[in-house]
Formats: sequence, structure tokens, C-alpha cells
Amino acid sequence: MKSLSREKAEFLRVLAARIVPETAQLDSAGMGRLICLIDEALLERPASVRRQFGIYLGLLRWAPLPRFGGPFEKLSADRQDAVLRWFESCPVGLLRAGFWGLKVLIFMGYYGQPDTNAMVGYAPQRDGRAGLDARA
Amino acid sequence: MQEREYDIVIIGSGAGGGAAAKELAPLCADGVRIAVLEMGAKLKEEEYTGREVEMSRRLYIDSGGTLTKDRAMTLAYGQAYGGSTVVYTGTSLTMPEEVVERWNVPGLEYEDLHRRSLKYLEENNVHLLPENELNDNNRLFLEGCTKLGYHVEQFPINVKGCLSSSLCNLGCPNQAKQGTHRVQLPQAEAEGVEVITNCRVTRVADKVCEAVVTDPGFGEPSPWAPGEYRVKAKVIVLCAGGAVNSAALLLRSGFGERLPMLGRFITLHPALILVGEHDRPITNFFGHPKSYYCDEFWKNDRFLLETCMYFPFVTAKNLIGFGAEHSELMRAFPRLQMILVLALDPAIADNRVTVNSNGDPVVDYTLTEDVLDTLHASMLASTRIFFAAGARRVHAPAGKTFFIDAVDSGRIDEMIPRANVLSGKISITSAHLMGGCRMGRDPGDSVTDGWGRVHGTPWLYVADSSLFPQCSEINPYVTVMGLADRVAEGIRSNAGELLA
Repeated sequence: MKSLSREKAEFLRVLAARIVPETAQLDSAGMGRLICLIDEALLERPASVRRQFGIYLGLLRWAPLPRFGGPFEKLSADRQDAVLRWFESCPVGLLRAGFWGLKVLIFMGYYGQPDTNAMVGYAPQRDGRAGLDARA
Repeated sequence: MQEREYDIVIIGSGAGGGAAAKELAPLCADGVRIAVLEMGAKLKEEEYTGREVEMSRRLYIDSGGTLTKDRAMTLAYGQAYGGSTVVYTGTSLTMPEEVVERWNVPGLEYEDLHRRSLKYLEENNVHLLPENELNDNNRLFLEGCTKLGYHVEQFPINVKGCLSSSLCNLGCPNQAKQGTHRVQLPQAEAEGVEVITNCRVTRVADKVCEAVVTDPGFGEPSPWAPGEYRVKAKVIVLCAGGAVNSAALLLRSGFGERLPMLGRFITLHPALILVGEHDRPITNFFGHPKSYYCDEFWKNDRFLLETCMYFPFVTAKNLIGFGAEHSELMRAFPRLQMILVLALDPAIADNRVTVNSNGDPVVDYTLTEDVLDTLHASMLASTRIFFAAGARRVHAPAGKTFFIDAVDSGRIDEMIPRANVLSGKISITSAHLMGGCRMGRDPGDSVTDGWGRVHGTPWLYVADSSLFPQCSEINPYVTVMGLADRVAEGIRSNAGELLA
């Protein structure tokens, strides 16, 4: 990994499990690909965006401390979801957008893997005519 | 730094650059040297894999996720031999007369633009797909709109030998889409135009383009070795890098000092996606993804509805929420119907392209309350269409609940409150980037004249969607080609004088 530290990668795994529950079932190779895709996407971005993303992860991790008494990863699943929902609809536009960006990276890391296409029933073909003819 | 010299240098090879290259190519027979400098790669046929992330990285700037300055929108625009024409769906519409009149560009008449646009419809093999090639996703849209009495039209599209892969937005793996990479550029090259791929122009001044050639690690090798170049245009430089890059290039090059409108009046057709889930599997990822549009709300409510079908990652990021509900909807992929909403946004001077301290483009665009109102109204209309088409439930980005069930179809206004249309929360995107080098009368209101010539710089032209003084209110590529055709004619008609 060139952009993400081991600590940030580990925190992303925690977040991914709430955002796409299926990621909890990924084997280490699958999770490695997820983190790798995110890392590559971050590397495409300017250094300032990568810094902002790092700060945002820190904020997400420690924001629950005053209310729930611990960092994000120590909370119950329900409380973790409540924190994420708060960020998603936060009154501050930049924090909402930051959460959206986080979601996008995790969705890309999971749904962007060709292996997961079958999980959602997506099976594209270069020649789709047979599939089109098979319609109900 | 290596040096090259041509008579005409065209920057960009998309709808504008490709059309201009083809129209100017006959000059090569008279000894005129023409180069097209394209920042993207020319992919080998086997590199069109249809894999979502891989193709996005190869064919889109920032993988299709360029952020606006306020992070509230993402922009998708192409970089490739063929520019964005490699990744659009090929929907081919000519601009309505009343929109040309609203543009009010001195010297630009509807008849002239329409005639040129028709030429490209012919050239690009534009036609209506037969009914048996339309998939359920599209037919259900037609059915829903028809039941509600909404006016619907079928999109003419520019394909030849379409195999219904539905992968248009990832670059057609069957080379069926008739973009400039298939039609205009090969013709221009056959007549003597040189196309230099992987070549990014960083600055243009005094008829000299400073450029950098790189090796991205895929595609055909660029005709030029990696390195820095100084490309002299003896006669003309024509910018066709698209709304963001043409404006940014000219700003980087210092033209902003005497062209106060440069970069301004960007319009984006802000877009979002809604999803309806049916009880049974439907054909959605086989067949052309975009067969119909509904213009019922065009005049009064300022939005268009189009059919669409996206890939798993793009679909996932366009849904609101996360967790179990989100996964449940994703697993229903074969039962999903999708509608794309396009808001027809006003041209506002403060919505603009700027450049940062590195010279990179920054799109400073604010979604107005009116546009957010429009997006809200479009969600209500789309939800009605889904239910009229028989969807069991609908996911609307501003819904009070993740799913709106069919039993609540009578309470749509209540279920999708305007207060929930929050920028930054809802995924709002744009693939129609327009303005920044708008046509007009003089430097006080515009960047170029009605023939794409930059005010006060007779050797510099623009031929892309940045010319649009307001949004096109339709999918824009045919209009871009029509304008590029006009710009090329202006250059050709002066060729004797210019090239003497």
C-alpha cells in the first residue's frame, strides 16, 4: 500500500463491515483487493485530498468518544451505524460529502471487484443478444 | 525539450476535436500539416474488457469521479483517442430551435446548426433500434410514462453492429459505437492528419503548445516518445479539450487577464439516479442502456428523464444509505429498473472553471436552490413512473425511508420531502459539461465569437462544449460536432489567406 497506513487500512475494514456487511465474509485475499483498490484510487487524487481523507477517518474514529466513551471500533454495531448515519445527514455539507466519499471508496473496493459481480446477479457478456432474447 | 511544427494543431480528439480534424483533413492534400494532440490513450481492442474499475481508470479523467470544489458533485468525462465519445451511450439528438434562440449567439442560426448536426447523424449511422432490441428496463419506462400520459421519445443512437453488451459507458467492447474513434479520426488520419495520443498540452502561447507525452502502461504506444515537447502551430491552434480542460488550458496560459468571462458560466445538467425494484427479473444489463427519454417536464419544470443502466459500483454509489438495506437492493440487481434525471441548470457567472496553484482545473460549481427544487420534482415524477410500470418498491435518494413500497404510491409527495434533498448526501453527478469558453459578442460577455474564434487572438479557436453559452437541454455531443463543423468551415474558408 502506498497511500494508506496499516492503521488506516485496518479502520477501513471496520467501516467496510458496516457499509457493506458482506465484506465481513471476505477472505484475506478479497479484503486485500478491496483495500488495494481504495489505495490505488487515493493515489490518483491530489495529496491534499488524501490528507483530507486521512483527517476525515480520524474524525470518524474519535467523534464518538464524548458521547459513547470510546473510539468508533469499540462501539456496538448499532452505535456504529448511528454514528455513520449522523455523518451521512450531518448539517455541515463538507462532512456529508466526506461520508459520501468514504462510502464511494468502500463500494468501489467491494462492487468494483469483478468477482463480486456474481454476488449481485450481474453477469455482463460481450455479446448480450442471447441474454436479451431470454427476457420474460 | 523536443520541437515539432505543424500548420494547425488541434488539442483534443473528442466530439469537437475529432469532427474538426475530419473537416480540416482535406487541407492535407494541399500540403497543410495538421496534428491532433490527445491526452488519453488509444486502447487496443482487447483492452476493452468491460470491467468497471479498470475501464473507468483507462477511459475517464479521475476514473470518472472528478470532484467539484465543494465536493457536492462528481464529473465524468473521458480521456482517450476519441475523448468522451468513447464512453457516452451514443444518444444522438439535435438541439431544439428554441434553445438555439435562447443562446442568442450573434451569427449562429438554428438552420445552420441543425443542417450541420444532421450531417453527423448521417455520418455516425444514427438510427432507432428496432423494438426487439429494446430491453425490459427501457420498455418499462415507456410503459410507465405512457400510463401516466407523459410524453416519451425513443433515442436515436449511433451504433453499427451493436451486440447488446450494455457496456457503452465503459467503452464498447464490440466497437459498435460510432464515436470519433471509429468514424472521424480514422478518416482524418487516412487523409494525412497525425494523432498524437498520451500527449497532454500544458500551455499555449504565441502559437506554441507546450506538451508532455507519457506512457500510461496501456493502449497503443504514442507516436512520440515520452518527454516534453514544444509544438509550434504556424497558423492555428484549435482547443477542443472539453469544457473543463479547454478553459483550464487557456487560464493556465494567461488568457484570463483579458478575457474576464473565461472559465465562467459552466453548466452541468446535474444528474441523479433512481431505482425501482420489480417482483421478477427483467432484462436490464443486456441491450442498449438508453432507449427512451421523457421530455414532459422540459419546458415548465426544467428536467429530463432518461432510461439508464449502470454497473454495480456506479449503482451502489448512487444509492443513499448503507448497510443491510443497501446490500438487499444491490442483490436485487437483475430486478432493477433505473431512471436518470437531468436538471437543466441555468448559466451563472460564478459557476466556473479555475486553476489551482499547480495549474490543475478546479470546477467551482454551486447547486442553486432552484436546481435542488428541480431534482426534487424529478424524483417525484420518476417514482410515479416506476410504480406505474409495476415496481414493487422504489429507492429515491431523498426518500424518508430507504424503500418506498407500492402501497405508499399514493403518498409520494410525503415520502420524498424536499428537505431531504441535501447536496453532499445525495449522489449528484454530471456527464454533460458545458460552457467556460462561451460564444458571444465581445470579451465583455464571452470568450469567442460565433465561429469559435477567441476574441482578440485570430490564431486561436475553440471547438467543443465549452462554447455553449447556456446548457444544451439535450445530450450535447451532436451539437458539439455541429459547432466544430462550423468552426472548421470558418478556418477552411480563410485557409488561403491563413496559410499563405
